Amino acid sequence: SRRSCRRWVSLVLRCREKHLVLLRDGRTLIGFLRSIDQFANLVLHQTVERIHVGKKYGDIPRGIFIVRGENVVLLGEIDLEKENDTVLQQVSIEEILEEQRLQQQAKQEMEKAKTQALKLRGLSIPRVDMLDEY
Amino acid sequence: MFRFQSLDEDCTLEEEEGLVEEEDEIDQFNDDTFGAGAIDDDWQEEHARLAELDEQVRDGEVSVPPTVAPAAAASSPQPSAPPPGLEERGGGDLAESLARLILGTDPAIAGVGAAGLPKRAELPPQHKTLSEALPARPPLLLGYQQQHLRMGTAPLQVNSRSIWDSIGFGPVGVTPGLGPHMEDSSLLSIIKEVGLPKQPPPMRSDERRDLSERVPPPRSSSPVIGSPPVRAVPIGTPPKQPLSHMLNQQIHCPTAVHVRAPIPHRYAHPFPDRLSPNTLLNITNSPLCRPPFPGGVGPVLSQLQRAQLLSSQVGAFPRAGPVPPLLPGGGGGFRPFFGQHPPRVGPHIPPNHGPIRHNTTHLHPQHRRLLTQRLQSRGDRGGRGCERRIRDPYSNLMTQREKDWVARIQMMQLQSTDPYLDDYYYQNYYEKMEKKQERDRDSSSKKEHTTKLITPQVAKLEHTYRPVQFAGSLGKLTVSSVNNPRKMIDAVVTTRSDDEEKREKQVWNKRRQILYTVEKMYSLLLEVQDFEKKFIQTPEEQRDALLDQHKNHTIQLYNTLREKEWDDRVSDEQCLMIMSVRKGKRLVSRLLSFLPPPQAAAVVMAIARNLPALAKKDKQDQVLCWLVEPVSVVVQSLSSSALTDLLQELQGSEGQLPRVLQNKFGVTLLYLILSEGERMQSSDANCQLMDDNRWTELVFSVTRKLLEVPPASLSPPLFTPPNLLSLFSRYVDRQRLELLQEKLQISALSR
Repeated sequence: SRRSCRRWVSLVLRCREKHLVLLRDGRTLIGFLRSIDQFANLVLHQTVERIHVGKKYGDIPRGIFIVRGENVVLLGEIDLEKENDTVLQQVSIEEILEEQRLQQQAKQEMEKAKTQALKLRGLSIPRVDMLDEY
Repeated sequence: MFRFQSLDEDCTLEEEEGLVEEEDEIDQFNDDTFGAGAIDDDWQEEHARLAELDEQVRDGEVSVPPTVAPAAAASSPQPSAPPPGLEERGGGDLAESLARLILGTDPAIAGVGAAGLPKRAELPPQHKTLSEALPARPPLLLGYQQQHLRMGTAPLQVNSRSIWDSIGFGPVGVTPGLGPHMEDSSLLSIIKEVGLPKQPPPMRSDERRDLSERVPPPRSSSPVIGSPPVRAVPIGTPPKQPLSHMLNQQIHCPTAVHVRAPIPHRYAHPFPDRLSPNTLLNITNSPLCRPPFPGGVGPVLSQLQRAQLLSSQVGAFPRAGPVPPLLPGGGGGFRPFFGQHPPRVGPHIPPNHGPIRHNTTHLHPQHRRLLTQRLQSRGDRGGRGCERRIRDPYSNLMTQREKDWVARIQMMQLQSTDPYLDDYYYQNYYEKMEKKQERDRDSSSKKEHTTKLITPQVAKLEHTYRPVQFAGSLGKLTVSSVNNPRKMIDAVVTTRSDDEEKREKQVWNKRRQILYTVEKMYSLLLEVQDFEKKFIQTPEEQRDALLDQHKNHTIQLYNTLREKEWDDRVSDEQCLMIMSVRKGKRLVSRLLSFLPPPQAAAVVMAIARNLPALAKKDKQDQVLCWLVEPVSVVVQSLSSSALTDLLQELQGSEGQLPRVLQNKFGVTLLYLILSEGERMQSSDANCQLMDDNRWTELVFSVTRKLLEVPPASLSPPLFTPPNLLSLFSRYVDRQRLELLQEKLQISALSR
């Protein structure tokens, strides 16, 4: 939309603020946006991949990221003052990865149960994430 | 990589040639696609240098660390296989010999060979030191030199029509040695931070001059056929920093610089077709919008300068008021340019700048003000963290110019031909705001100019491309390009509006209906015509039936001509309809002979009545004269009153007779009637023709008209009955008779 394009102008200016990028595969990256181009390809510096599970989150330092523009879902600036007052609790990487694994597991089991139940009733609903492959 | 391989493996002359040329082509395409900055050797060099410099920083000494070897190894796949001829030589000669080798073997560079060699002395210092130290260095050096040469070629393809000219920069590619330097600049700040001074390579003016001779042949672009103009720098490349390197030259290279004076800034023609963000950038950054800086220092300062200022500056950033030229507030993240720029852009646009569309970005001035205010407030807040920001060396990787460029691209998408369609709510919102402002202003009696959004209407440029066609040639052009794709099918699109279609459809429907009627009648007619034959053939018993059938047919035939079921008159409309078709006329002519006399008479009356219309419809076919024979038969069988009626019908309303006279058939009919009347009169003494004055009057008017009508509009009849003269002699005097005679070319003997 035109509004979002206009927001872009202001965003492009502040290339030295911390930015949060949400990617299409669900990853959250936080880093300093160093460069941007017309396709929204991003160069992120000192990037950290933040994994959120419930009320906890963990940061994995990743270094420099170059993200292809088509994979960007949204990009926003982080207000450094407000960054720290959050209800979320930071944990270590191992812990958060463990939490994530558990979460994924639980989700899969639920999906499995659901599809099973549907199968018994003669219905089959395709998984949404599979559709995206096209 | 590719280059190194070729040089190391195939050292034969022919192969070298071919390969190198191929490489040149490939690299040219590479440059065209990615811009002259995208040369892979470049980043390798940079990486190597930086990596080694980082090492230096860490170790604190000029070392020849293993990192250099891996770097060299990384860059050249065969570090262990230097050309055989070089192994013998020592380190210091290595560079020279290598240079000779390359330059000697490559015929393209051969001409530069002589010039190339002494350049060794001018090699960047760091390379020199390293080359002395390490034999593995040469491949890198080799690459670097080649890259220099290559850098020299690529930008020199800049034709006069490139976009860079219009921007008014000096030619970007004038200084080949500054290619790597430009890459340097973004990292310079980093190096500056870490405290390592760097000297950029000096100008290679000689090399450049020689290199200009070996510019590869320009890409074919034929304006006739319409291939797109050659762009040395593709449309999508971000802007470079030409001014920066010019400045740096001044700073670092006191030697005379062969820099073309920047082409005087001229406005690009109004809204060129290929509106690149650079031209937009340029248009909007034209002198109109430029802040009052001294000439030569553009709104964008080089990274170098910013880096310099970084170290020198500590505290106060000027916020308010016009910014002094050399204090951009660079690394601090505060961009006063943007803050100051746009509000001036809006009101600055003079009203007479019709053809040039400034500020096509469509941001309402209020909106822009809001944005900048927000920015400033952020900047104010960010000032507190300025100490932190100073230490952020990577913060200036994107120059303001580049940011503007990207922003412009985005803004270009906002150009619309119909803003109310595309962004209704935005327009409405700001309109309301304007109105509110005006109301407020009026109430407070302040006569401030309320900024209005003037949305430049981007003209819908309809590029109806017509391919080049040579007249009289068979087939199509074989050469096609982006701009003139081959037109495979000459499909003509006929678009008709709904109304037209309806009308046309109606017309066609009607015609079809008429034809259908005619066909039906024809079949009946044929039946009727064949009756006699059939009659003879059928046996006695069935003859009655046949007769009945025949009667029916004839009745049916006549029925179709009738107006309504119960009305015995001939429908004029129907008649006209049928007679409008050629086939219909034929039909009627045949039909007349089979109709019973009264009905035939009625038909003939109808014909006479509608003769002008019929004549008009007959213009294309000209077959009315088919009717003459049957009509004459009918006419001759008419009674006197009927004849009079007929004549009256023929005369019809005022102005009908002249039209009748224009038509051949009409004239013929008239003559027929007259001659019949004459015959009646002359043969039968007591005919009733003279009973009332109608006949006489009619004839009088006819003769009058005949005399009046100019000869040009009097059509010659099919035949002239002989007794016309005697007819006329009854009614007109001698004088007129003679005139008539002359006019109508009737004589006593004419037939």
